[in-house]
Amino acid sequence: MSGQIVVSGLTKMFGPVRAVHNLSFTVAPGTVTGFLGPNGAGKTTTLRCLLGLVTPTAGTATIGGLRYVDLPQPSSTVGAVLEASSFHPARSARNHLRVICTVNGYPASRADAVLDQVGLLTVADRKVRGYSTGMRQRLGLAAALLGDPGVLVLDEPANGLDPEGIAWLRAFLRRLAADGRTVLISSHVLSEVEQTVDDIVIIDKGALVRQGNLGDLASQQGSTVVVRTPDPDRLVSALGRYDHRPGIRRRDGAVMVDGLQPAEIGHLAFLEGIELHELTTERSDLEDIFFALTGEGADR
Amino acid sequence: MMTRLLRAEFTKLFTTKLWLWLLLGAIGMTGLFVGLTIGLADSAGNPSPPLNTPEGQRNLFGVAGATSALAIVLGIIAMTGEFRHETVTPTFLATPRRGLVVTAKVIAYAIVGVGFGAVGILAELALALPWLAAKGVAVSLTGNGIPRTLIGVLLGLAVNTVLGVGIGALIRNQVAAIVGTLVYFFVIESLISALPTIRDYYKFFPGGASSGLANTYQPNVEFLAGWQSGLLLISYGVAFAALGTALTIRRDVT
Ligand SMILES: Nc1ncnc2c1ncn2[C@@H]1O[C@H](COP(=O)(O)OP(=O)(O)OP(=O)(O)O)[C@@H](O)[C@H]1O
Ligand SMILES: [Mg+2]
Repeated sequence: MSGQIVVSGLTKMFGPVRAVHNLSFTVAPGTVTGFLGPNGAGKTTTLRCLLGLVTPTAGTATIGGLRYVDLPQPSSTVGAVLEASSFHPARSARNHLRVICTVNGYPASRADAVLDQVGLLTVADRKVRGYSTGMRQRLGLAAALLGDPGVLVLDEPANGLDPEGIAWLRAFLRRLAADGRTVLISSHVLSEVEQTVDDIVIIDKGALVRQGNLGDLASQQGSTVVVRTPDPDRLVSALGRYDHRPGIRRRDGAVMVDGLQPAEIGHLAFLEGIELHELTTERSDLEDIFFALTGEGADR
Repeated sequence: MMTRLLRAEFTKLFTTKLWLWLLLGAIGMTGLFVGLTIGLADSAGNPSPPLNTPEGQRNLFGVAGATSALAIVLGIIAMTGEFRHETVTPTFLATPRRGLVVTAKVIAYAIVGVGFGAVGILAELALALPWLAAKGVAVSLTGNGIPRTLIGVLLGLAVNTVLGVGIGALIRNQVAAIVGTLVYFFVIESLISALPTIRDYYKFFPGGASSGLANTYQPNVEFLAGWQSGLLLISYGVAFAALGTALTIRRDVT
């Protein structure tokens, strides 16, 4: 499989800090996959391992079956945009790209072609020092596209983009994916990528939380029941004893229950003699799923 | 592959202005030293050998080698700049075999060092030859060991630039690497070459080897023979470059 990304048993220790812990997931060729997790979850570290910049403590990360260092033509196989803005401030965008063209033996005209693609052609000769965050993100994207790679790895590409920039990026990535490219895009905000991705991989504290098709996950996760009661503590402890171990969170004094039907909760409350003031179903949006899965905002 | 990497190194160098400033600095420094050497030649109590002696002329034409500190700084900035501006990320993404990248930098900057020295030598010739002619001092650039001095200057600058690349790979913090190196050359090596007894060992240090290579004269200090100095200096360059490469291959880029 040419564009398949396979991360297998990946572990990375930075001294005592366990940034990635026995992480395994795959990214199918021709899909856009969102790589999600809260700050410090290990997304950047995982992507840097995949790109041969960080040496894993254990495990492997391969692209089309090969480690990045073993790829015969890395820049024509994988294009990467990493979080750090990695440009010499005194070098122009065009010259930055020309350096990469020279190394890879691409014609210098490729630099102008990708600058045009990301909309930077008119400012190509300005020093990067004077670029805004959004322009740097575009330049990073331009660099990734130089070799016309089939696989794109983007670390938080929406960071620092204004809403217009995010819309542009979304359309841009969709176009790339429509060409049949494999796109792996990290973010700590699900809503940023939910309109772009087919699949998601969610990690937390360096470990895999969930991988799958976004639509499937959303329907599996189902809906949330909002319960209001004068005695939420008793309700929570009663629900805690329930066989199915439902997901329980609290929000604005309400108890939010995942994985149970309103009727089941009502019945339980009746048996326990708990007074209920509200029992409604709320279709959980994706952000809630993300929170529920990564444990953020959970009542623990 | 290597040709492309070398060309990329030159593109990197010439697409920022650093090289221009350092080169102007080197020309200025060379001019200053030529001026001092010739201008003070006849003043009383000057310990340097007179300009009409072979030693005096070798000293004069060896002054371009005094820009070795700038050459080292050039090498350091070339390497540490990649870390400082994080261009090391795109560099290693384009060429994940890091050993090749550092090797290309070492070769490219050896060539740059030679070019640096060539410009310095041209500057010193342009200033010294008319001046000496005006003073009635006869010079033959093909005699008095001067060709060897000039070759020594070129080789010395090439190796010093490589040394800078190696230091930069070892100490990735640009400011620390430059300050440390300048303190080393201007304070520590100056002390070593000035203190009795200790100065007998100065010839084994990089600065002493550079001077020995150019076959210049310093009162009270002995240098190794030119070829020995050359080999020693090259060994320093290779050792630092190899150590720097080994570390660069192993270290994480985060
Ligand atoms: N070079 C490093 N040295 C030490 N610890 C590190 C290093 N790089 C990352 N870490 C640690 O590894 C963990 C994972 O960091 P990482 O940058 O991969 O997270 P992330 O998911 O990309 O977070 P964010 O959303 O904030 O970008 C964090 O605890 C971080 O402090
Ligand atoms: Mg990150």
